[in-house]
Amino acid sequence: MNIYKQELKMIIKSVIIWSIAIAILIFVYLSLFSSFSGEAKLVNEVMANFPEEFLIAFGMANMDLATILGFFGVIFFFVQMCLSIQAANYGFSLVSVEERELTADFLLTRPVGRKKILTSKLLAAFTGLGITAIVVWISSYVFVTIFSGEEGFYLKPLILLLLSIPVFQTFFLTVGLLISLLVKRIRSVLSFSMSLAFGMYVLNAFGGMIGDEKMEIISPFKHFDPNYIIKNSAFDLPLVSISVVVIFVSVIGSYVLYSKRNIPSVA
Amino acid sequence: MNIFFRELRANFKSLLIWGAIVVFFITVGIMKFSAYYDNPELLAVLDKMPQVLLDAFQMQAFNLTTISGFYGVMFIYFALILSISAAMWGSDIISKEERDKTVEFALTLPISRSKLITAKIFAALVNCLFLLLITWGSTLINVSKYQPDSDFYNFLSLSMFALFILQLIFLSIGVFLGCAMKQYRRAGTLALFILLGTYFLSIISGLNEHLNFLKYFSPFKYFDPAALLHNARIDTTYIWLSAGIILLSVIGAYVTYSKRDLYI
Repeated sequence: MNIYKQELKMIIKSVIIWSIAIAILIFVYLSLFSSFSGEAKLVNEVMANFPEEFLIAFGMANMDLATILGFFGVIFFFVQMCLSIQAANYGFSLVSVEERELTADFLLTRPVGRKKILTSKLLAAFTGLGITAIVVWISSYVFVTIFSGEEGFYLKPLILLLLSIPVFQTFFLTVGLLISLLVKRIRSVLSFSMSLAFGMYVLNAFGGMIGDEKMEIISPFKHFDPNYIIKNSAFDLPLVSISVVVIFVSVIGSYVLYSKRNIPSVA
Repeated sequence: MNIFFRELRANFKSLLIWGAIVVFFITVGIMKFSAYYDNPELLAVLDKMPQVLLDAFQMQAFNLTTISGFYGVMFIYFALILSISAAMWGSDIISKEERDKTVEFALTLPISRSKLITAKIFAALVNCLFLLLITWGSTLINVSKYQPDSDFYNFLSLSMFALFILQLIFLSIGVFLGCAMKQYRRAGTLALFILLGTYFLSIISGLNEHLNFLKYFSPFKYFDPAALLHNARIDTTYIWLSAGIILLSVIGAYVTYSKRDLYI
């Protein structure tokens, strides 16, 4: 319990900053919707004539900008970007921070098993990510309601979109954790988390374009493609299950690796 | 001088990785271009597109079927990649000493703190220059098969100059944050926040006329590729503005680091 509290205290400031930043992002972009929607019907007509590769290249396939939800789908891409960097940050630093700051041998001499340490740390990270998710849920719902005006919107796709957030975060958290345990040492957490987040993003963006190579199926940006969810009001279940499997494997792998990990002592 | 070479060697791997990313990006991007090259059908489609959409994706004023136009659209991605690397190098080169517990050692060397900073800044600067040269070189190689005209080469060198100023801006901001942030861990994250924040600002300011004033807050808007292509020059206001930002950050870095309380 003490470890949990300590960990939570360590990340709470960053959780608050991320949550506020994402909420502001949603607000600012949604507020642009009214200036966009007037011409949006025209946009959709024109886009129907576009070559398919072009739409995919610019991430505009399956997009309907005339409705607030379609517009929100585009914003949700940015939100996912931020969420993935945040979650990967926590995942990569969760255990590695102890070795970097030379506090690992202190922590491991406490009368607590390694599994328990990892569990407390994971729970603290989940709490932090959960807070962010709740802030995103509330702000998305409120801002979409405000800016949708009289037209209104369908609740189901929005709820599905928002429900995808925790799984999405968990993916980056656990994969980050697993990688941090696979490598010998992490010097800069940010460069690792950015490469993971941007790498997955690029896999999704370019994978769709190159076509034949199905690289993108390992990217959670593909698993939770907002345009797909909005259009079909459903998850792409086979793809989502890939995410879930990856999460399970990473968690189990992390426990195994951490309980065996060689930790260099302070000279 | 020793510190300078030491830093160059320490950052060499990172330079290689960023270089590989840039080369990969340019190669894939230009490969994409082959679908647009001299394709009148696409041009007709683009002509029909409404202004807002073009603004949102910064595709106005570019003819995507020519190499200059296509490069103009890709410019913003180069700008992002190069400035992210500059910001990370800048903040990392200062804050890593505290992270790796080497700062006590570095500061017991018989040189002043400001000299240390100078050596570090120059090392990061050399890295940025190399990355810029890699960008330039691989662009030249990749576009050569489309036989670009002299206008394109002018545009290219002008845009490289713009990219260099962008690198300088974010490098100096990164160094400043590395020196000034009390907690070394925050420096890199904050530098990234500023970078992405100003990038989002640059998108927003293009969407709506009322928000046009925001462009002064976003370095990405200082060097509009469309203006670079059509006017073939950089607005001097923005050069002064950039110089001001760089100067302030660098001075701030020296002042704050000379007084810094070390985190040990």
